[in-house]
Amino acid sequence: MSEIIEKRIGHYETLLREMWTASSKYLGTFSVNLLVERVVWEVSLEYKEIELLQYDQNGISCAKMAARLEENPDLPVEDMFMKFITRYVEILARLLGHERAEEIRKKLDEEFAGDLSASRGE
Amino acid sequence: MERLITGIKNLDYILGGGIPAYSLNIVSGSPGSGKTIFVQHIIFNNARNGLKSLYLTTISESQLKMVRHLQDFEFFSDDLLGDRVIYGDLGEVLRKQGASRGLDYLTQMIKEHLPNIVVIDSVKVIRDLFPDEKTFRAFVFELAAVLSIWEITAFLVGEYEEQELTRLSEFAIADGIFHLYGQEEKRFQKRYMRILKMRGTSFQYGEHLFQIGPVGIEVYPRMRPEGEELRYDVKLGRKEFGICGLDEMLCGGLLEGTITLISGATGTGKTMFALKFLLEGAEKGEKGIFLSFEEPAVQLQNTARCLGWEIDRYLAEGQLEIKFISPIELDVDKHAFEILDMIREKKVERFVIDSISSFESSVTDIQKYRDYLWAIGQHLRKRHVTTIFTVLNEDLFSPLIVSRAQLSLITDNIIILRYVEDNSSIRKVLGILKARGSDHDKSLREYEIAPEGINILGRLDKADMLK
Repeated sequence: MSEIIEKRIGHYETLLREMWTASSKYLGTFSVNLLVERVVWEVSLEYKEIELLQYDQNGISCAKMAARLEENPDLPVEDMFMKFITRYVEILARLLGHERAEEIRKKLDEEFAGDLSASRGE
Repeated sequence: MERLITGIKNLDYILGGGIPAYSLNIVSGSPGSGKTIFVQHIIFNNARNGLKSLYLTTISESQLKMVRHLQDFEFFSDDLLGDRVIYGDLGEVLRKQGASRGLDYLTQMIKEHLPNIVVIDSVKVIRDLFPDEKTFRAFVFELAAVLSIWEITAFLVGEYEEQELTRLSEFAIADGIFHLYGQEEKRFQKRYMRILKMRGTSFQYGEHLFQIGPVGIEVYPRMRPEGEELRYDVKLGRKEFGICGLDEMLCGGLLEGTITLISGATGTGKTMFALKFLLEGAEKGEKGIFLSFEEPAVQLQNTARCLGWEIDRYLAEGQLEIKFISPIELDVDKHAFEILDMIREKKVERFVIDSISSFESSVTDIQKYRDYLWAIGQHLRKRHVTTIFTVLNEDLFSPLIVSRAQLSLITDNIIILRYVEDNSSIRKVLGILKARGSDHDKSLREYEIAPEGINILGRLDKADMLK
């Protein structure tokens, strides 16, 4: 895998793992898995490639996604991932209340300053 | 917290605003207890507010039968069927493909329709399809997780008996449990609902009466004595009867917001004293309600007219309202709640129940009767409504007996009306036994109900008349 692709995907994989860990604290891994399944289904209506995301109760991996990106470098992964993360946090906010969701959002913001804010148009 | 408003009369009040959103609720009860109507009423109310429901039957009732039975209720609407209320058959999938496929089918239906509410009727049937308790428990756990992740508020309907509610695993997993049941009480076949559990919100415990009628379900919250010490502002104003001698005996009238018991034998004029109290209020622009279990409004109007009281004017102007409820039809659970509702809505300042002896005859046990009166009394005091309860003393000549149910404990003031014998004639005397927080005349005074009204006469001069 090229270093550029690894970097592009690695960035989001870390973000997703951080999100997974942070929300597991509140939802439990079983429900986090279901939530990822739901968001994958929703985002797949626009970006079919999101189905390449691998997940189970042990965590989340973007290995297949990276492989597809090797074949098709034009894949709009940035937009797709940001849609995924935004949607995930939106649902989380409704399930857990905005206070808890904000905590998770803050963690992600600290980790990757700017990405989430930009996706929300701030 | 986001909530699902049920829209059922008084249920959201009991639930502190509604059912917590995305919760899994079990609606349990015997066949015929009203479970299906209960959930259908909720989903149709929500459909009118734009929410979508998925109603999955198993084998308990076909869709055709259900729709046929529901179409006479006011909440039902053909227009919402198939668009906002979608029916599906989960039972067939479970029977043909096995219980393990049930969740996949459900998820597929959710993705297709994106409902806000899912109902499974009946979940008890599903439990029988699983080989053991452990696998069924795992199914319910997964079901609960799937539904909440999809932001769905769920109702699992089941024919459970009360003893099963503490034993079966689905009740441990459920966030909310509504148990519906019926029982025969005196003349009435009554339906009750208890909320046994509701995670994430406070709610009113105990049994709440409900009725199934043309509108669907109507709930009447349990009247409950307040657990905490009653705190309310004590008003120092007085409410007069407009009966000259009596108001003097009370040092200016009844203290505002207090409860007065007028106890007396039949024919002593309890009703007239109470009615005069409301008419005096009406004259001063204060709204009053006379709740009669003894005489219909027309009869009361006639009597008042004979005494020269302007009852018709006050009735027409809305200053006075007479509500007659036949004691045969009296249902304390329902009427106690309605009384308070009416008082709140109409901003009533003076209120009469004539007589609370009729309450007693309709309640199963005397403790429940006292609890009701205590609860009503507390609510009325909090609202500063000056109230009169009349009570029948069945012993015509017995001295100073108030009532057999120790009602004096719940009242602030007690006025006694009784007969005395005097030289082969019967006279009426009145005494104030108690006036909490106020001085009062301790003497016994003779009175008469004359064509021009009630006259308080002199002190009773023959002590031996009370023997």
